[in-house]
Amino acid sequence: MTAAEKNFGQYSALMADFNGQRRVAPLLEKLSQEAAAVLPAAMASYRPDPMGVDAARPDKLFAPDYGVNLMRLGMPVDAASAFKCGVPNLNSLLCVVANDTFHSTTQLERNRMEGLTICSLNNVPAALQSKVYEVLTRSLKNSDPVSALNSLLLNDGVLIHVAAGVKVEKAIQIVNLSNPTVPLLSARRIVVMAEEGSDVKILLCDHSQTDTVEHLNVQLVDVDVAAHAHVELYDIEEATSTTRRCWQLHARQASNSHLSVNTTYLHGGITRNEYHVDVPGDYAHTELSGLAICGGEQVVDNQVTLTHTGKHCTSHQLFKNALFDCSRGGFGGKIVVGEGAVFTDASQTNRNLLAGDDARMTAAPQLEIYCDEVKCSHGATTGQLDERALFYMQTRGIPSEEARRMLTQAFMVDVIDNISFEVLRQRIHMLVEKRLAGAGASCGSCAAGCHTDESAQ
Amino acid sequence: MKQNENISNPAEDENDEVLARATSGEYKYGFSSDIDTDIIPAGLSEEVVRLISKKKHEPEWLLDFRLKAFRYWLTLTPPDWAHLRIPPIDFQAISYYAAPKAKTSPKSLDEVDPALIDTFNRLGIPIEEQKALSGMAVDAVMDSVSVKTTHRERLAELGIIFCSFSEAVREYPDLVRKYLGKVVSYRDNFYAALNSAVFSDGSFVYIPKGVRCPMELSTYFRINAAGTGQFERTLIVADDESYVSYLEGCTAPMRDENQLHAAIVEIIVEERAEVKYSTVQNWYAGDAEGRGGVYNFVTKRGLCRGDYSKLSWTQVETGSAITWKYPSCILAGEGSVGEFYSVAVTNNRQQADTGTKMIHTGSNTRSTIVSKGISAGHSENSYRGLVKVAPNAQGVRNYTQCDSLLLSDTCGAHTFPVIDVANASAVVEHEATTSKISEQQIFYCNQRGIPTEEAVALIVNGYAKEVMNKLPMEFAVEAQKLLSITLEGSVG
Amino acid sequence: MSEELLKVTDLRAGIEGKEILRGINLTIRPGEVHAIMGPNGSGKSTLSGVLAGDPRFTVTGGSASFHGVDLLALSPEDRSHEGLFLSFQYPVEIPGVTMVNFMRAAINAKRKYFNEAPLSAGDFLKMMRQKRAVVELDNKLASRSVNEGFSGGEKKRNEIFQMAVLEPRLSILDETDSGLDIDALRIVAGGVNKLRTEHNATIVITHYQRLLDYIKPDFVHILYKGRIVYSGGPELALELEEKGYDWIKEQVDNQ
Repeated sequence: MTAAEKNFGQYSALMADFNGQRRVAPLLEKLSQEAAAVLPAAMASYRPDPMGVDAARPDKLFAPDYGVNLMRLGMPVDAASAFKCGVPNLNSLLCVVANDTFHSTTQLERNRMEGLTICSLNNVPAALQSKVYEVLTRSLKNSDPVSALNSLLLNDGVLIHVAAGVKVEKAIQIVNLSNPTVPLLSARRIVVMAEEGSDVKILLCDHSQTDTVEHLNVQLVDVDVAAHAHVELYDIEEATSTTRRCWQLHARQASNSHLSVNTTYLHGGITRNEYHVDVPGDYAHTELSGLAICGGEQVVDNQVTLTHTGKHCTSHQLFKNALFDCSRGGFGGKIVVGEGAVFTDASQTNRNLLAGDDARMTAAPQLEIYCDEVKCSHGATTGQLDERALFYMQTRGIPSEEARRMLTQAFMVDVIDNISFEVLRQRIHMLVEKRLAGAGASCGSCAAGCHTDESAQ
Repeated sequence: MKQNENISNPAEDENDEVLARATSGEYKYGFSSDIDTDIIPAGLSEEVVRLISKKKHEPEWLLDFRLKAFRYWLTLTPPDWAHLRIPPIDFQAISYYAAPKAKTSPKSLDEVDPALIDTFNRLGIPIEEQKALSGMAVDAVMDSVSVKTTHRERLAELGIIFCSFSEAVREYPDLVRKYLGKVVSYRDNFYAALNSAVFSDGSFVYIPKGVRCPMELSTYFRINAAGTGQFERTLIVADDESYVSYLEGCTAPMRDENQLHAAIVEIIVEERAEVKYSTVQNWYAGDAEGRGGVYNFVTKRGLCRGDYSKLSWTQVETGSAITWKYPSCILAGEGSVGEFYSVAVTNNRQQADTGTKMIHTGSNTRSTIVSKGISAGHSENSYRGLVKVAPNAQGVRNYTQCDSLLLSDTCGAHTFPVIDVANASAVVEHEATTSKISEQQIFYCNQRGIPTEEAVALIVNGYAKEVMNKLPMEFAVEAQKLLSITLEGSVG
Repeated sequence: MSEELLKVTDLRAGIEGKEILRGINLTIRPGEVHAIMGPNGSGKSTLSGVLAGDPRFTVTGGSASFHGVDLLALSPEDRSHEGLFLSFQYPVEIPGVTMVNFMRAAINAKRKYFNEAPLSAGDFLKMMRQKRAVVELDNKLASRSVNEGFSGGEKKRNEIFQMAVLEPRLSILDETDSGLDIDALRIVAGGVNKLRTEHNATIVITHYQRLLDYIKPDFVHILYKGRIVYSGGPELALELEEKGYDWIKEQVDNQ
């Protein structure tokens, strides 16, 4: 039995002992019980993904013995003073998740609007309960032990529900803060439900405040995009070397919907991002993109499974990694075009820059096509900066180090330009520039509200 | 297309019909020959392994090798990671040795069973010396045993050894012992272990230093006897600065049950030597409903051991019910070059999971992969590949182009490449596309008076041209015809 | 003026172990325009590459002194700061790096080299505007990536624009006329002429006489098999135009 299997077993046993005693809403209690029922089978069928980066594989991520905060003891998170967010001047609807607990902000409360629900998963309005529960249980059907474990241990989470036809102008920003004092596993959950014709932009900021205590964040984002709805989801990770992140997106798109997901990895320890997107609707469009700048011993693995079963759908994937020092990058991209998914137009691009002598990249772009009326393509490259461009820049007087930095930044440009949310796009350009210049994850001038008293209560 | 009302028009329906008709092409090598065969009862045990070895009068060391492989095989289960649905195979229901009966081994053609000569003639493989193609030496392998090798004397003058594997074991035991299992270990995989335990015959090639083999060497494989498997082994050694082009062809009779073919090909390429290995694989594919056909589970690998050595694989895969093979290159020598050019066509219920591995362990090594998959009917066609760059391999280059063409809405075309780069000076590029055969192109041909069936053949041949061009002339024409036949009636 | 701006002595260089330049001697003084002509493969582009510090080439002997500085000891960027400019035969496309960022980085690197403060955004933009006029470069190109999607003419105009911005003491124009139609050629040559002063010098590397109708050389050198085999005045270019290179080849090969 592997260490991870042993730990999973222990978490299950713990939960069985605590049955009904946790301070969570019945919705989450029910979810936990359903998860407990499917977990053994999911564990039995688990096979380590042969394409993924070893260190970021779930069986490795779950090998250390992390504690879980079942009694929901308060954790010392100092959101007000220590938190530094990378996105200033973003007039957002802000809420904070500290370790695994939802906190509203006065900024959010002041801006509440008709047709938009942002609340704790322990506080789901009665009218939405059954719908939310259906979305929450979708990932349990994948017989994946990680998502089952998240559902099993879930104490809290965030619900964002946008009613039909409602267009949310301001971005919704969710800041995840980790500051455990002991090695801790946090199960986090965000449920996004965009009803027909609605429009919403969500920014997830992932931060850690400790670089001495190892902690694992198991984060699931469930997204349901109804017909003609438009959802943009951005995720920025600026964590620390002791952060282990196991992030999963589970999205489903109805006809004529639009979903954009972008992840930016600036700092962290070991990160595995999984994107599971199902597109049963017709004429839907999907954009998935991600960039990672890794140095030291950082590891980032992006694994995508995009399944087209609807007709006339388009999808684009663009993932880029710049790997310095002895960092490791992984990309697995699977496009599945099911029988009858005619006129699918799907493309996938993965480009990697190996800039460190001991850096390593594993890419596995995959196509599974069961339909003939399709246009599918993928490309993956691993290489270095263009030596001719470097020389050209040097002849114009730009020192080689600066030229390298500019070219690396340029390498990332198209991923960043994919971000249609202007303020954020500019900000990420800047963050990437700063990251490449060697600056740590910091932003002194954050005006998002988390510096002021009106942040986490 | 049936589900798709939007694009239906009468001309197309007609196209579909023609395409459907075209896929019903008959397998013209489906006859079986009535040849007296020495066949051992079905089943596999240590005794059977000993029996095979004994029948072949093998030395002790080879029996040891077989037994080690067999004991290891017992600990394994068949691989299940490929994108294939393989019905359970009863390894005890197969006969592991079948040989055309001959009282003594034939000294000249007069002593060879006329039915056997006739069989190879019908296959278009002349083994009568005077009729043999002057530019090609042939080793004909029927069921488990090599029946005739042509042009040996001429080759011998140059020091080239080209003979059956059994003969090599007798005549050149040191050479065989030195290289056997060095590239494909019996521990490599399930079928490699099986082959190592029960292999019956195959071809052995040795090209001495500095010799450029003046003709194409060719092995022709034929499964004839029912209820048998074919487990041949090919070993090619190209010494320093030598060159050889090697061709492999195969057919089998039409039988209702599945036949197992589990071969091993090992190639060693020394300094500045070059080996070109071409395969036209046309094992019986089973009928339109997927009954019968050969399971083609083959391990092929070459080691470019010498600096600036080169190994080039070209394969045209049109037959077999199930194909599972990944001709690979280990590029160990500095500046060595690996190539893989493949056309894989699947129709009806055929399944293919094929591709290559390019393992770059030497510096400045280069590899090129060009794979063209063509799927029709209800078939499943997958490209699976690995490009690996070891940490110490400087200046590695790889380019991979991998295209799939779909000819029906019921087939599958898949691409599973893995790119693993552990050296920062490497440049590795992979590109893949999947598309349907262009209706515009078919229409254009139709307008110029070319019937749809012919148009499909034209377009597919054009699509596969880059690979077909890599085949030696004699094979290219045959392969082109094969493509058209395999796809007869396939677009729908 | 008699001071030497560039003095190349017995310069030898090659690529991948193959010697291409086999002893180049060349002296250039401020205010002069030198044309270097020669048949294909004679080493013209190698010479410009070696002077600019192209890492593809290895210098195997000789020296190059640039206003008293040992040119060959400097990095490509320091050669640029010291006032050497190479207009590339094939300007490199750099996707993702905008012209504005590129030029700002170049100017500020040079200013830093001379211990000057970076240019303010306003001053920088003003400067860009002025210099663009020299080669009638479209404003829109400024926001595009360096050379990406530029036409042949735009690329060459962009080279001269950069030359105007960097104000070099010695400009090497490597086959600047290749791929240009007559209008583009006139604009490019006009730009070069506008930038000429008595303090700077130009090396025009070209295959044809055509460009020399617009940029009048003081000296013409013929490069063949890695050596300057002939030097003369502007009339030499006309002679080449008329007679081709064969007579030179014959003379040299028969020696």
